[in-house]
Amino acid sequence: MTQRTVLCVDTEDAVPTTASAVAEDGSLDAVETTSVADARAVLRDRDVDAVVTEHDLPDGSGMDVVETLREVSPQTPCVLFTDARPGDIDTSAFEDLIVEYLGKHLPDAHERLSVVVNDVITHSSQVGFLLPDNEAERLDALAEYDIDDLPIEDSFDRLTDLIASHFDTAVAFIGLIESDEENVMACTGADWDSLTREESICTHSMLQEDVMVVEDIADDKRFRSNDELHNLGIVSYAGANMTTSDGEVIGQVCVIDHEQRSYDADQRADLQQFADEAMELLELRQRVLDANPEVNA
Amino acid sequence: MSLTNDEFDVSGDGFPAVANGTSILLTGEDADALASVFYRLVAARDGEHSVVLSTDSSGRTVTRSLDDVERGAGDRARVLAVEGSDRRDAVTAVEDLTDLTGLGMQLSTAVAEASADASRLRTGLLLCSSVIEAADDTTAVYRLLNSNFLNHVRREDAIGVAAVDTSADFGSGTSSTVKGMETSFTGRVHVEDASLSEATVTVSGLGDADGTHSVRL
Repeated sequence: MTQRTVLCVDTEDAVPTTASAVAEDGSLDAVETTSVADARAVLRDRDVDAVVTEHDLPDGSGMDVVETLREVSPQTPCVLFTDARPGDIDTSAFEDLIVEYLGKHLPDAHERLSVVVNDVITHSSQVGFLLPDNEAERLDALAEYDIDDLPIEDSFDRLTDLIASHFDTAVAFIGLIESDEENVMACTGADWDSLTREESICTHSMLQEDVMVVEDIADDKRFRSNDELHNLGIVSYAGANMTTSDGEVIGQVCVIDHEQRSYDADQRADLQQFADEAMELLELRQRVLDANPEVNA
Repeated sequence: MSLTNDEFDVSGDGFPAVANGTSILLTGEDADALASVFYRLVAARDGEHSVVLSTDSSGRTVTRSLDDVERGAGDRARVLAVEGSDRRDAVTAVEDLTDLTGLGMQLSTAVAEASADASRLRTGLLLCSSVIEAADDTTAVYRLLNSNFLNHVRREDAIGVAAVDTSADFGSGTSSTVKGMETSFTGRVHVEDASLSEATVTVSGLGDADGTHSVRL
């Protein structure tokens, strides 16, 4: 059984009880701290699998701990385990920091705590993007490809050159979508290695079967507040799914422009064909590797 | 029809039972028809409890609508209402729909309290599209759905219904947003061709329930 580390932040009097409640589940190791400052130091010093924090702490609030956690490890789940009622917590400065709330006053709260913590860790349930219902199967399908060992980059580079030229766009790229980030395999017109899944438009595009087009991100509520996209100069986007023979979407082929842009039905069909081509290239390279493992040894 | 503890009765012509742990994206352009189907799915039967976030109706309207589906369902519901509280303890006012941190905490509390009262839970957002409209950033709503609403449905083995008025204005990405949301839910129920007394619903992703059904409103 894999041990998981849980940072427990509570007052000096209460932290032993909170830590014990967490450790009720034998797979959870509790690390105790009693202040916002100590919690911040731990979060910056080591990886934890989850955080459980009281709201009222001697040098600040549990929301300060959550804020630090979102800075250093955005996807790590957090449970606000507290005597404070929701209406007593000032959330005005944290309007979209979502955490699991478990009031200590609630029935069986201490008994429920370890169950809740294990659950939020297991299901990665505090990510800031929608996950497809079949995310686990999708990631298993992606793991079937030995991405690091496949001699695919040159082929993908040529393909993105061709795509950018065909559509006359500023950028074309091929990205594989992993659990937390999009791994950019080839990119023409920009120097991108990866994008976090929370920031990437492909996170949304992969959820729909057909080609997704965003003519101007300023008009789309999902993206207009996304500073990272603005910083990259992205104005318009079109993305097509790379889908395995088993129907799992593992990546995207995309075109980006620095100005508003639309794509007609023929252009969308062309982009999907490029995505199918990229998928076939990946499949073929993997088959060659499987048949001749020593080729790349 | 006989039911097991593995499924929820959604009482109705054309609607088979829904399995525990099922999340449903309920969509449509007719707000009245959408609400009617929503209450049918979310009203608690005997031994169950409901948690409803209502963005556009008062707590009193919600409990009455639940009672219309199932006698006593209003008394077995905890309601978070943007339109204010009433004299019932089980109705809580939501002060600010854009404060998704506070909203998430209120929802978690209501679910924990309701699950202490009854082992079987129905939960719903009417309207999820109003939350998206109010939010500055849709990503925060996704985070709320992932880390709160869908989480509770799974953990409590409940059924959860998020209603989206597809005529709402999310900017240019409304259709794409709904398509994206659909993949995070177990299934989708789309309400169309609604008249005063009847609507056609198209069900997908819910196994035996899939297909087109005519339902009385």
